[in-house]
Amino acid sequence: MSSADRIDFEMEVEVESASSGPPVDLPNPTSPAPPATGNTKSVVVTTATSGSVTVSLHPLVIMNVSEHWTRLRAQEGSPQTVIGALIGKQKGRNIEVMNSFELVFSVIDGDIVIDRDYYNLKEEQFKQVFSDMDFLGWYTTGDTPTERDIAVHRQICDINECPVMLMLNPAGIKGDQLPVVLYESVIDVVNGRATMLLAPLSYTLAAEEAERIGVDHVARVSSGEAALNSLVAEHLTAQRSAIKMLVSRVRAVLATVRAIRDGSLPPRPALLREAKALSNRLPLLTSQQFRTHFYNQCNDVALMTSLGTITKGCNAINQLVNRFNVLYDRQGMGRRMRGLFF
Amino acid sequence: MASTSTDSQSTIAQKTWVMANNIETLASVDDIYRYDKKQQQDILAAKPWEKDPHFFKDIKISALALLKMVMHARSGGTLEVMGLLLGKVDANTMLVMDSFALPVEGTETRVNAQAQAYEYMTAYIEAAKQVGRHENAIGWYHSHPGYGCWLSGIDVSTQMLNQNFQEPFVAIVIDPVRTISAGKVCLGAFRTYPKGYKPANEEPSEYQTIPLNKIEDFGVHCKQYYSLEVSYFKSSLDRRLLDSLWNKYWVNTLSSSSLITNADYTTGQIFDLSDKLEQSEVCLGRGGFIVAGTDHHEKRTEDKLGKATKDACKTTIEVIHGLMAQMIKDRLFNSVSGRPSACAPMIE
Repeated sequence: MSSADRIDFEMEVEVESASSGPPVDLPNPTSPAPPATGNTKSVVVTTATSGSVTVSLHPLVIMNVSEHWTRLRAQEGSPQTVIGALIGKQKGRNIEVMNSFELVFSVIDGDIVIDRDYYNLKEEQFKQVFSDMDFLGWYTTGDTPTERDIAVHRQICDINECPVMLMLNPAGIKGDQLPVVLYESVIDVVNGRATMLLAPLSYTLAAEEAERIGVDHVARVSSGEAALNSLVAEHLTAQRSAIKMLVSRVRAVLATVRAIRDGSLPPRPALLREAKALSNRLPLLTSQQFRTHFYNQCNDVALMTSLGTITKGCNAINQLVNRFNVLYDRQGMGRRMRGLFF
Repeated sequence: MASTSTDSQSTIAQKTWVMANNIETLASVDDIYRYDKKQQQDILAAKPWEKDPHFFKDIKISALALLKMVMHARSGGTLEVMGLLLGKVDANTMLVMDSFALPVEGTETRVNAQAQAYEYMTAYIEAAKQVGRHENAIGWYHSHPGYGCWLSGIDVSTQMLNQNFQEPFVAIVIDPVRTISAGKVCLGAFRTYPKGYKPANEEPSEYQTIPLNKIEDFGVHCKQYYSLEVSYFKSSLDRRLLDSLWNKYWVNTLSSSSLITNADYTTGQIFDLSDKLEQSEVCLGRGGFIVAGTDHHEKRTEDKLGKATKDACKTTIEVIHGLMAQMIKDRLFNSVSGRPSACAPMIE
């Protein structure tokens, strides 16, 4: 009931803001009002719907947004709203957001207007370098999407028919959740009028090997600063922390299942089924084929190690021989010299 | 303006957060992101680097710039790619805030910026100024896929030219292939000495493997430049984001197998190694018969064999690391004790 009211109200706003577009003398004083009242209602679809696309997000984009925000804050001295474009690849229903760039916008009567000329310039620039990437959507910072964001989203729709929106909340890092939410727009027909709403999309983090190492490097270098001299220790530390995470996740599953068994949590069949499926998958690979390949790989490495060791031994012997020669020669030389002179 | 949150509670939380952070973080960590035009122009006018060819000693690279460079270098595959660095100067330290790729197609041996690239550069920097990125170009980067971080002859002359006309300028070389094989970022930052300058006899920098076909290029020019001490920085927001990023990232660390991704590179290394060994063997054989001038000659043979040994050790260690990771995974996921998994779930 209340939600119906809300949507009704939103329609009102829609109408109002739509009429405020052309220069009409009346709505000017109220034009700052729509965003203000818009804040109090949600433009996000709350019902759980599965998104129309699957999104994988590269950490570079997150770092880019974060840097953009930090930079403007440092420049202006206070947190600013930032807006930028997301670029990447789209294959069918899979979207891979790989990079981003900043956009220029101006605020006119409280409404954000994207500078299209600037966008076109930047698009041309990124096309020259990353020719295989396309414009996919836009990003901004904030807590939850508002009416203003919808207005921006409409402008973005002119560029790409169904853009995605990334929202990073610089203030809200709760626990171990990444404060990044992706939205796509859905058009809902409410009271016979089409209204644009945002629906959250689930995403996965994509990682190229090089990117992973880069992130790892940055994350670890400045946090630990521990100068580990041993390569082995460094390598094993990374493995260990990953395994630690795995253990903690397994513990979480275990605790949930236990709680359900004890009755302190209501049973959730879907969850239990997933846990069961997960445990059934172990051991993961037992086929003879895998064993053969695995042993082959082990043998290859063992062979390389043995060759390496032989090389090392050769070097040691060579050094020994050389040194021996030096000693022996000097003696021999001395004797010969003596023979010459006497 | 940013606090458009619906929830009043989170607004308050945000305000307290901002207040708490504005005082400390902005002053210390994030202050680096502010660009002081006047200060930079003063430095540019003073030109302190003209007096001392060894003026710049450190370089600080932002997390973003590093990630962008690594990704770009990686996307080039076996081709060299090139880009520009944006940043500023702070006393003896160069600060790299951002980087961007240039539309330059590199061949395997040389990277050269063409007129079109210059145009692109200026346009890009101009456009960046509109979004609060006021830094100017402070250097360039390019990739050396698979053959280590050093400056080739062409790189040295390019860098020298830039240092003459575009000071302050730095050259960064990044090796995406080694980054992956070693599991850590392989990157070097260099500045050349002015022509005719003889560096005081420095101890050679850290030993690195250089393929046989490049070793001459390296040896001829390696005295014409010096490397800067590289460190990285990130903002307070980056720090927290990276921390939570790790919570999703650990899966990748576990699932990656460096043995498979590096198969090509490892094979290449072995080839190179066998060439080097053969060469040292030839020297060795000759050394045995020729008696005259042994001392100097043997020294060199020994040196060659010693270097080959070092390379062999490095390659071996890397494969062993890969195998260790595989073993750990085998232990974790395949060697779950022999009980029939179908009837015994993990909970006990």
